[in-house]
Amino acid sequence: MIHHIDVRAVLQESVSGVYADLVTRPTGRVVRERIERAMAAAQGDAAIARIDFTGVGCIDYSCADEIVAKLLRSRPAVLVLTGISDGHREAIDPVLAGHRLAALIERRDGTLEAVGAPEAAARLLADLVARRLAARTPGGTFALTLA
Amino acid sequence: MTRLVEVPAQFDDRSFDQFAGAVAQATQDGERLLFDAHAAEWASPYGLVGLLAAGQAARGTGRADRPLLTAPTQAEVLTYWTRAGFFREAAELFEIHGKVPRAKAADDSDVLLPVTPVRAAEDVHSVVSKIQERSSAILASKLGLDPKATMGFAMALSEACQNIVEHAGTGGWVAVQAYHWRRKLAKRVVVIAVADAGVGFRHSLEPTQSKRFGARWSDAAALEAALIQGVSRFRDPGRGQGLAGIRRYVTRWEGKIAIRSGTARIAIVPRWDDDVPLRDGLPAFPGAQVLIIIPEQGSTKP
Repeated sequence: MIHHIDVRAVLQESVSGVYADLVTRPTGRVVRERIERAMAAAQGDAAIARIDFTGVGCIDYSCADEIVAKLLRSRPAVLVLTGISDGHREAIDPVLAGHRLAALIERRDGTLEAVGAPEAAARLLADLVARRLAARTPGGTFALTLA
Repeated sequence: MTRLVEVPAQFDDRSFDQFAGAVAQATQDGERLLFDAHAAEWASPYGLVGLLAAGQAARGTGRADRPLLTAPTQAEVLTYWTRAGFFREAAELFEIHGKVPRAKAADDSDVLLPVTPVRAAEDVHSVVSKIQERSSAILASKLGLDPKATMGFAMALSEACQNIVEHAGTGGWVAVQAYHWRRKLAKRVVVIAVADAGVGFRHSLEPTQSKRFGARWSDAAALEAALIQGVSRFRDPGRGQGLAGIRRYVTRWEGKIAIRSGTARIAIVPRWDDDVPLRDGLPAFPGAQVLIIIPEQGSTKP
């Protein structure tokens, strides 16, 4: 089972006003803690957490670290990031590389792409394939086996 | 008795050290300060937020009265300072002398963000939200930045503002402006200026870094540790990402970042500029002042 988390909805529950940007450490911390609680509630059922950034404006480096890097370090489930724009990647990629971590981004066509440290990315994909959570597609890319 | 501090006629990061020297000299005996800007001809966003930081520092000395400020006498200078949001913030810090026009909303497209106070994370959210509304088109069309770079710009702005929230121990100000920089580049630039009169980098990093540097510990060492080595006062391994991210961003877009704190100033110097990477022994000025310049893309000849 895949657990879907709508980051924009979590953000709007977490900060006052109608801000769509994931900026500042305090915001990142509150959003991550809510995501962790949601993932803990679904633990056992969900092998993969699909963290959806659709509708999120800017992510700064502090939030990329506070949310993505810290969730990856705690590893409550396999994380797959969706709805990631080029701008989001600009923050997430160097932050993960700095921690020697990697995350999977699910593109619109369902294929997976790893961002972050290359060695960690290769390990992550190999692990997913070994656990049969992902498989190589006919086009040579990877995709999740679960819907 | 009142001590006079002259505001440089051309007030920007280049003339800031002269201003800081005058402030340092005038504050020695704890007398009331008079910031004299009557002859001001031009001020960059850095000059404006730096002047507010000086007022903030003067108010923090424990005197009951506010420092004095004589407003510029040239009409167009006054109008610009007003449009840039300077007097709205200055009114809380200074006893202002001179005729100040009524504040108008910054509808001028060059003032991407008027002088805005930053005290808490909520303010950073507001700043980032406003800058994205106002700047995306200008950054892409007038500066020729890849649309991808506009989000990076918001990130850089966010991290620069967070430095105040997390490290200054007090509030500060940010301003963003686009203008044609004839003197230096003959190109359009967008400038972020952030200033506070808080504790500064040296004090912020001292508990975790001073032992490592030993006798070499200084304002310059603290700036080098923060900007070049990416260290933070927090022990969390993810900290220090902000300035590192800004550095990557300005390097990628041939921009510049300079940070002044205490008696030192550090800069990532692009090839079009002749600034020095590190200056020490400058006149002491409280807090931290950050300057980020992103030039119009294309050939940037020195």
